[in-house]
Amino acid sequence: MRMTRQEFLKALLAAAAMPWAAAARAQQGSPIVVGATVPMTGPLSLTGKQYHNSLMMAEEDINKAGGINGRNLKIMFEDTQASNSTAVNAFVKLAQETKPALFFLSSYSTQNLAVAPELKKVQVPAFYAGGADAVAESGNEWMFRVRPADSVSAEGMVQCALNVLKAKKPGILYIQNDFGQGGAQTAAKRFEAAGVTVAGMEAYGQNDKDFSAQLLGLRGKGVDVILIFNYPQDGALVLRQAKLLGLKMPLVTSSAALVPAALQLLSPADLDGVWGVVDTFIDPAVGGRMQDFVERYKTKFGTDPDPYGLAYYDGAMLAAEGLRKAGTDPKALRDWLAAVKDWRGIGHVYSYDAKGNGVFDLAVVKSKTGTKSLELVQAIKLN
Amino acid sequence: MTDFIQLFINGLAIGGVYALAAIGFVIVYSATGVVNFAAGQFVMFGTFAGVAMLLNAELPWPVGYGAALLAMALFGALFFAVLYLPLRKSPVVTIIIGTVAIGITMQNAALLAFGSWPFRLPSPVEGVNLTIAGATISAHAIAVVVVTAVMVALLWLLFFRTSLGIGMRAVAQDIQAARLMGLKVNRLLALSWVLAALLAGIAGLMLGPMWFADTSMGDPIALKAFAATIIGGFGSLPGAIVGGLFVGLSEVLGASYVSSAYKDLISFGIMIVFLLVRPQGVFGERVQDRG
Repeated sequence: MRMTRQEFLKALLAAAAMPWAAAARAQQGSPIVVGATVPMTGPLSLTGKQYHNSLMMAEEDINKAGGINGRNLKIMFEDTQASNSTAVNAFVKLAQETKPALFFLSSYSTQNLAVAPELKKVQVPAFYAGGADAVAESGNEWMFRVRPADSVSAEGMVQCALNVLKAKKPGILYIQNDFGQGGAQTAAKRFEAAGVTVAGMEAYGQNDKDFSAQLLGLRGKGVDVILIFNYPQDGALVLRQAKLLGLKMPLVTSSAALVPAALQLLSPADLDGVWGVVDTFIDPAVGGRMQDFVERYKTKFGTDPDPYGLAYYDGAMLAAEGLRKAGTDPKALRDWLAAVKDWRGIGHVYSYDAKGNGVFDLAVVKSKTGTKSLELVQAIKLN
Repeated sequence: MTDFIQLFINGLAIGGVYALAAIGFVIVYSATGVVNFAAGQFVMFGTFAGVAMLLNAELPWPVGYGAALLAMALFGALFFAVLYLPLRKSPVVTIIIGTVAIGITMQNAALLAFGSWPFRLPSPVEGVNLTIAGATISAHAIAVVVVTAVMVALLWLLFFRTSLGIGMRAVAQDIQAARLMGLKVNRLLALSWVLAALLAGIAGLMLGPMWFADTSMGDPIALKAFAATIIGGFGSLPGAIVGGLFVGLSEVLGASYVSSAYKDLISFGIMIVFLLVRPQGVFGERVQDRG
């Protein structure tokens, strides 16, 4: 059989296109990779495990619902431990080996700041949960925060002290890092703007275990409320030692001291006189998606979800929607995320500003007398 | 004044824990010439022995404490048999590096066994507060001070009133002479490690209710115990006690009356001053080679 020139050219074209078509088909069937660098071991894993669990649950839910336009989502994890250098190495490893379409970074500002320059080189959008304003102020257009900035939390804590507790001589205790110092300074400025003088400010190191000097120092200055900017474990220890030292004034703690991991270290008596300004009041009684999330999380992991984990779940759902609508092109996905307004997650309503801040709502909570279950005192929405 | 009393007793309680860790440090150093860099992890193991017996096995207080201390004594003997005995003829620095390696292994073993979440180890006098001159003092803090004092008294009796303790001191002074005098040197050396582990166990059980039990708690204790030993005098038991209490008090009082941000700088700054001005510490003798 003789082949005409036209047939020969068609066959040649088909042969040349075959590898490309195969590659396209393979890509069509291969999962979309998302990288997640979170603290899974070490002291920061107290909250880090929540992000890990929530992201795994989100991956399962997204894929069950049809994935991303027919392709599965695959989240690749690397452990950041409690170290900035490990966080950077984890990020670089994932970026080089798996080339993710998007990243989830840890909720620790110092790690976020350490990774930010690498992210800028890779140019892929990333969700992060560190609260420090410095992260957003650094102007990295690829970073999107999934929980309130520290200035928002500090503002909420000041509102709680002034409006709920009618503070006249507040004191501030803070962990000595980007998060604590930033939060304490913002709170001090907000008090000043409200015409209230901060009677005392005390700091402690991230690895400190004894806070008696700081707590008694604030009591000695006659403070009527203490605002505490803390991480989970040290936050729980501060609340416990405040009770052991017989402090009677109300304590207003930031979100971390009231996550389930920290609450398991406290007794109901330790929580007496403690108010918390938390990212989200996780209350299954409100029903709907919140109830569904809480119940499934508890069944799957045998523990209660915390607001940070919920923020990562929301972030994953938002990322999935972005990937469906804008595709995996990093610039297109970044632009889509930057334009998000009033996106309703389970924990928050997300609207991103020019600096990548997307969450401006908080909740004031308090434990029910004699128990460790929290109840909502006030919802706070900031502009 | 009220604040001072509270701070002073808290400082004494923390200092008591540092002192017990430092005594363990000194006993091992005096007997074997080895600086045990796993000393902080020994204390962490003591706390987790309490977690295992009191929280996991739910044993009653006296039985749980007894079982935890027995476990620590066995661990001390194991440490001697597995690390010291095989390496005893190697240069001391080899054994010291061995203690570093075992310390890291201990921390990771605890992480594997108990996970990274901390535990709240309760105190037998949980929730009991006393009022002294208007100051609220937790009964546990007072119990720690009392237990430390009792342990120091028992150690004095052991070392100065029993043949076993006198034998241990003889080994510490001159191992060859002790052997020539017919003392069972290996047994006495093993006892030094057991005693160090027991003291660390007691320190850990007392520390658990003051801090939370977590696998990274050993390092700061080792650093403070080390500072206490330098300040008190390397190799001196009274020095370890005074150094431990001094570090605990300077940490708490310094944070309150000088600066909370630089409280560690105060203890370590004093340690550096001692290293420069009086390297033998408060009670130490002039540095010389072991006999």
